[in-house]
Amino acid sequence: MKYSATLRVNGFSYPVTIEPQRTLLSVLRDDLELTGSKEGCDDSECGACMVLLDGEPVNSCSYLALQTLGREITTVEGLSTNGDLSPLQKAFLEAGGVQCGFCTPGMLISATALLARNPRPDDEEIKASLSGNLCRCTGYTPILAAVRSAVEMTAG
Amino acid sequence: MTMTTEPRTAPVVRLDGREKVTGVGRYAADMTLTGLLHGRFRFADIGHARIKRIDTTRAKALPGVVAVITEADVPDVQYGLFIKDRRLFAKGVVRWEGEVVAAVAALTPEIAKRAVELIEIDYEPLPVITDIEAALAPGAPLIHENWESYWQDEKLVRSGNEASRSTIVKGDTAAALASADLVVKGRYVAAGSQAAPIEPRAILAEWRSDRVQIWSSTQVPFAARSLVSETLGLPENKIRVTVPHLGGGFGAKCEGHFEPQVAALARAARRPVKVVFSRRDEFLAPDHRREGMIVEVESGVMRDGTIVARRAQVLTENGAYSADEPLITILAAIFSTGPYNVPNVDITGRCAYTNTQPSGSVRAPGAPQAAWALEQHMDEIAKALDMDPVDLRRKNLLRNGDLSPTSQVMSEIRAVETLDKAAELIGWGQPLPDDEGIGIACAWWPSFPMATSAFVKINVDGSPTIITGAQECGTGAVMTLPILAGEILGIDPSEFSLVYQDTESGPWDGGAGGSQTLFNNGRAVADAAMDVRRQLLKLAADELEAAEDDIELADGRARVKGSPDRFVTIAALADKTQGTQLLVGKGSGEVPPTPASDTSACTGRLGAESFAAPTFGTHAVRVKVDRDTGVVRVLKVVAAHDSGYIVNKVGAAGQVTGGVVMGLGQALTEGTQISGEGRVRNAHLLDYKLQTMADVPDISVWFTDTAVSDAGPKGSKGVGEPPCIPTPGAVANAIAAATGARVRELPATPGRIWSALREGQA
Amino acid sequence: MSALASGSTAMGQATAAGPSYTAPTTVDDVIAAMATGSRVVAGGTDLVVGSRQGRWPVPEHLVAIHRVNSLRGIRPVVDGGLWLGATATHGEIAEDATIRERYTALADASSIVGSRATRNVGTLGGNIANASPAAETSGPLMCFGATCMLESRNGRRELPLDELFSGPGRTVAAMDELLVSVSLPAQPAGTGSCYARLEYRRQMEIAVVGATAVVTLDGGQITAARVAITSLAPTVRRVPEAEAALIGSTGDRAAAERAGEAAAAASLPIDDVRAAADYRRAMAAVITRRVVQAAVDRARGETVSIPASASLHGAL
Repeated sequence: MKYSATLRVNGFSYPVTIEPQRTLLSVLRDDLELTGSKEGCDDSECGACMVLLDGEPVNSCSYLALQTLGREITTVEGLSTNGDLSPLQKAFLEAGGVQCGFCTPGMLISATALLARNPRPDDEEIKASLSGNLCRCTGYTPILAAVRSAVEMTAG
Repeated sequence: MTMTTEPRTAPVVRLDGREKVTGVGRYAADMTLTGLLHGRFRFADIGHARIKRIDTTRAKALPGVVAVITEADVPDVQYGLFIKDRRLFAKGVVRWEGEVVAAVAALTPEIAKRAVELIEIDYEPLPVITDIEAALAPGAPLIHENWESYWQDEKLVRSGNEASRSTIVKGDTAAALASADLVVKGRYVAAGSQAAPIEPRAILAEWRSDRVQIWSSTQVPFAARSLVSETLGLPENKIRVTVPHLGGGFGAKCEGHFEPQVAALARAARRPVKVVFSRRDEFLAPDHRREGMIVEVESGVMRDGTIVARRAQVLTENGAYSADEPLITILAAIFSTGPYNVPNVDITGRCAYTNTQPSGSVRAPGAPQAAWALEQHMDEIAKALDMDPVDLRRKNLLRNGDLSPTSQVMSEIRAVETLDKAAELIGWGQPLPDDEGIGIACAWWPSFPMATSAFVKINVDGSPTIITGAQECGTGAVMTLPILAGEILGIDPSEFSLVYQDTESGPWDGGAGGSQTLFNNGRAVADAAMDVRRQLLKLAADELEAAEDDIELADGRARVKGSPDRFVTIAALADKTQGTQLLVGKGSGEVPPTPASDTSACTGRLGAESFAAPTFGTHAVRVKVDRDTGVVRVLKVVAAHDSGYIVNKVGAAGQVTGGVVMGLGQALTEGTQISGEGRVRNAHLLDYKLQTMADVPDISVWFTDTAVSDAGPKGSKGVGEPPCIPTPGAVANAIAAATGARVRELPATPGRIWSALREGQA
Repeated sequence: MSALASGSTAMGQATAAGPSYTAPTTVDDVIAAMATGSRVVAGGTDLVVGSRQGRWPVPEHLVAIHRVNSLRGIRPVVDGGLWLGATATHGEIAEDATIRERYTALADASSIVGSRATRNVGTLGGNIANASPAAETSGPLMCFGATCMLESRNGRRELPLDELFSGPGRTVAAMDELLVSVSLPAQPAGTGSCYARLEYRRQMEIAVVGATAVVTLDGGQITAARVAITSLAPTVRRVPEAEAALIGSTGDRAAAERAGEAAAAASLPIDDVRAAADYRRAMAAVITRRVVQAAVDRARGETVSIPASASLHGAL
C-alpha cells in the first residue's frame, strides 16, 4: 500500500502519498519536483544527492523518504533565502568552484553542514568533510578555496 | 593552489553559475514532459555471441509497456566515423556486453526495467577476445566476420581485427639506431579508463508531427543531430537537439550517442520518452572510454644526451566497434615520441578490435597513456646515461625551428620555459626524505581550428545577447565568450545573455571537444561583436556629429574620445533603430592556418598531420610512497603550461587543476578491469576510484600567458585537454624516484608498486 | 543498516497484501512487526544501497527502528563496561569520549566508514547485522569481547559477537530476531587498541585488508592480547596465533612482526577487483604489525591520532 505523509522540506510542508520503498531522493525529484539534488551513482559514493536532515548531511539516494517524517529536510534549493545567496554559494561562484555544476548541490550541502558545526575549519577538516562529494571538473582546488573564502566572509 | 601569475582582469562570474548554486538549473534527467514515458535499454550482457532468437512477446504483454523495439524496427543503417561497422541495435551478433539489443518504453521506470528483463534472447556464445595482442595475433577469431564488406574511410588501412594501421616515418631510423652510443628500450601497458562525468547521461525525445525534439546530455549537439539524420533517414532540419545544463563530459559524451534509439522509441510509442542512465550503464555502454594501450619504444641516444632516433609501436584497444579510435591511434603514435626534437622516427600505430566497450575520445585522447610511457622511457634513458632527467629533457625539448615527427617547423613555442618553471617551483634537486620522490613529465597537444559562426545582437533596450551554437560542458568556455564581446562593445560581461547548445538557435559548431570552444567560438563571437560595433559607431557618429574613428565604446556608452561628456548610451542608440534597422552582428572570423608538414613517407594517415597552435606543458609531482604497502600519497603538483594568452584566468586555472586531478586518478587508482569473458568488474564508483578532495595536494598553476600568432582569440590556445596529459607520467617517475622501482603498468596501484618493489629486491 | 541477516529462514511470513511500513517507538512493536515478516531498516546505508546496485530488492515489508529511543545511545554500565544501542551511529561512536579513550579501536573503525553522510545515519547494529567480511567495526568489537543482545517474541538471548557470524553476509540470528544492543566489557588498566585498514585513497575507502589489536600492558609486558583480521576471510575473525605471539613480549617490533606473520598465515584471502590474494596476504602482515604497534603505543599512553589509518601508512 501507499502511505500518506507530510515531508518538511526547506521550511514547507509537502503532502505525499508514496510506497515505503521510495528513497528520499526519488520523492524529492519525482514527487516534489525539487530536482536540485542529483543522482550520480548507485552506491552512495558520489554525494550528488546529499541533503541536510535536521542539519546533518545524508545521501538521500539511500535513505527512505518515510523515515524523514517529523524531521526537517534542507535541499540545495533551500540554501538561499529570499533570493540572497548564502556566503558559500557566493564563494563558489567567485572562486570558480562551479564548473559543470552537477556535484555543486551536494558540495554546498556538505560545506553548509561543516560550517554550521565548525565556523573555522582548517584545510584538513574541509577536505575530510567534503570527501564524500566527488567532483570531476575542478580538481577540488577551487572548491577548497571557495570554502576558505566563505569562512573568511562569515567567521570574520 | 598557488597562482603565480596575477589575473590581468577581474574574474568574471559565469552566467550559468547562479542557476547551478541554487539548484534551479535543469539537467536532462531533471526534465519532464506531458505524457512522458520512461525508456530503458536491454544490453547484450554477454561478451560475444550470435543472437539466435529475440522474443519480445512477454515484455510487450506487461501492463504499462507502450513500446518495445529492436533492430527490426529501425532502418537497417550501418554507421561509424571511419568504419561503418555498427547499428543502432545489435543485429545477428553482439560484440560487447554493453551493446544495445532492444529498448522499452513504459509508464514508469520500474515497469520499463521489468519489461527489459522479460525480453528473451537466445545466444550462441562466440570466442571472447579482450586482449589487444591476442586480437592481433595470426589466426585470432574475427570479431567482425564480414569486416571487408563495411564502408570505410578511403585513407584507412585495416585488415581483420586490425581496425587501423598507420605509420610516422622521418629520416633513417635503423641507421641512426645502429650508430647511436646507446639504445634504450621499454614496454609499457596502460589499462583502459573512464571519463566518468558525475552526470550519467539522459536523453528525452518528443515527436511533433514529422519533427523530433531531442534533449540530450551531449557535448556535441550538432553531431548528435547528424547521427539521428543518418540513422533514421530524416533531414537535419526536422531534428532539433537541445542540451540543458550538461553535467560534465570529458569526451564520453562526444559523438552521437543513443539519441537515435530514444527518438525511434518515442516514435514507436507515440509519446515522449526519457532514458536516464544509471552509473553502471554509464560505465558499460557509452562508446567513449579511454583506450587501453601498449607502447613499445626504443631510443638511440648519444653520450651527451642527444636523442638521435626513436622507434615505437603503439597498440590501442578499439573495442567492439570503431568510433574515433583509428584517429586517436595516430595521435598516440605522435605522442609516443613526445615533444622532443628527434631527427629519425619510425612509429607504427595499430588499433585492435576487442570484445570490449568501444574506445573513443576522452580528454586529450591517446595522449596521457602515450606520454606516461614515453616520459618513463625518458627517465630510463636519463638513468642509463647517468644524466639528470630535467637536463635530458631540456637538451631535447622542441624549440623554435625544430621539426616535429611530421616535419612541422616549430614557431613561437615555449616548451623549455614550462620545463624550467616546473623544475623551479617543485624544488627540483632538493634533498628529500627517503620515502619521497619528485617526477617530471612534458607533453604537447594541438589546438583544433575549425569553422564556426556566431551572432551578437543588441536588443531594443540596449541589452546584448550572444547567439552561438557552442556547447558548454562545464569548462566555462562558453561562459568566457562575453568577456571577448564585452571588450569590443564596452559592455560589462555580466550584462550579456547567452543563447547556446541548441541546434535550432545557433550556427553549426563542432561542440565541446578538442579544447576548441573558446579557440574557435571566441573568434566568431569577436567577429560578430566587431560587426555590431561598426553599426553602433555609425549610428553614434550621426548622433554625436563626430567621425566614427573618434568614437569609442565604454561603460555601455558611445562617446567621443577625449570628451567623455559627449556620449550617447547604447540603449538610446538601440531605441533609435527600432523599426528601421536591427542591431545584429554576425561573424565567423578567419580560421587560423594549420602549419605545413611532410608526411610523404607515412602511411594510413587520417588527419593530425601537423599541430596548429600547439600547446606545451610540464608537470612536476612530489610523492611519498609507503614501501611496505605500495600506497602513494601525492604531496605537491606543479603544472606549467604554454597555452598562449589566457583569456579567463580563473577558468583556465580550473581546467588545469581539474586535469591534474583526473591525471592523478589515472596514474594511481583508475583503471577499468575486464574479465576474460569481457565483463567489466568495476562498473561502480567504490571500485573505480576517482580521487577525493582529501587526496588532492597543493597544485601550483603557471602559464606563460603570452600571445602567439595563428592561434585563437587574442593569441590564445586550447586549455581544456592538455592538463591531464603529463600527470600520470610525472607520478610514475616520482614513484620510481622515491623507491627505485618502476611500475610499467597503468594505473600504479599499491599492489603493482608492492610487486615492483619485491622484484627490485630479488 | 539492513535487517538482521539470516542464514536460517530465507523467506519472511506472509503478511497483508502490498508493501507495508511501520516506524514504531518500542522494541515490542518492532519485534511484533518482525514476527509477521517485516524487515528492519535503520539508516539504509546497506539495505537501500544494496537494492540500488541490484543485489536485492528493498524488502516489501519494512519496520523502521530510528524512532525507538531504547535502541539509541552509548552508556557506561555499572561494572565499567559500555552499552551501545543498535542504532548508535558511526558518527556518534567516533565522537564518543569514552570510546575514544577506552575502546579506541572502535572509534578508529567508525570514523572511517564511508563519508560523513554515511556515518550520520549508518548504525552499529546495521554494520554488525549485515555481516560483511569487510565491516569496519566487527574486528574491534570482537577484540573487546563484545556480546550482542538479540530479542524476538520468544525472548532475549545474548551471545558473543564471534559466535554471531556464520559466513559472508550471514549470521546465526533468526529472521525475527532484532539486534537490540551491544555490550563491551570493561578493559583492564593498561589496555591500548587500534583498528586500521589499507587505504588506497585517503577517504571513502572500504577495507581491502584490515586489522585490529587490543593489548594490555602490565609492567612493560603484554599480559593480554587480542587480534582480529578484516576482509581476509569469509568472516571477520580473531587470530589466536597472533595473540599468542604477543603475550609475554614487550610489544616491540619483533613481536608485532610475529603477530603480523601469524595473521598472514591465518588469512584466507581472495583475488578480486580490489586486490590480488598474495598482496592481501602480505598486507595482512603489514597492517597487523602496525595496529599492534599503535595499540602498544596507546597502551603506554602515547598519542596516536584517530582514525589510526591515516597516520599509519608510513606516517603519511
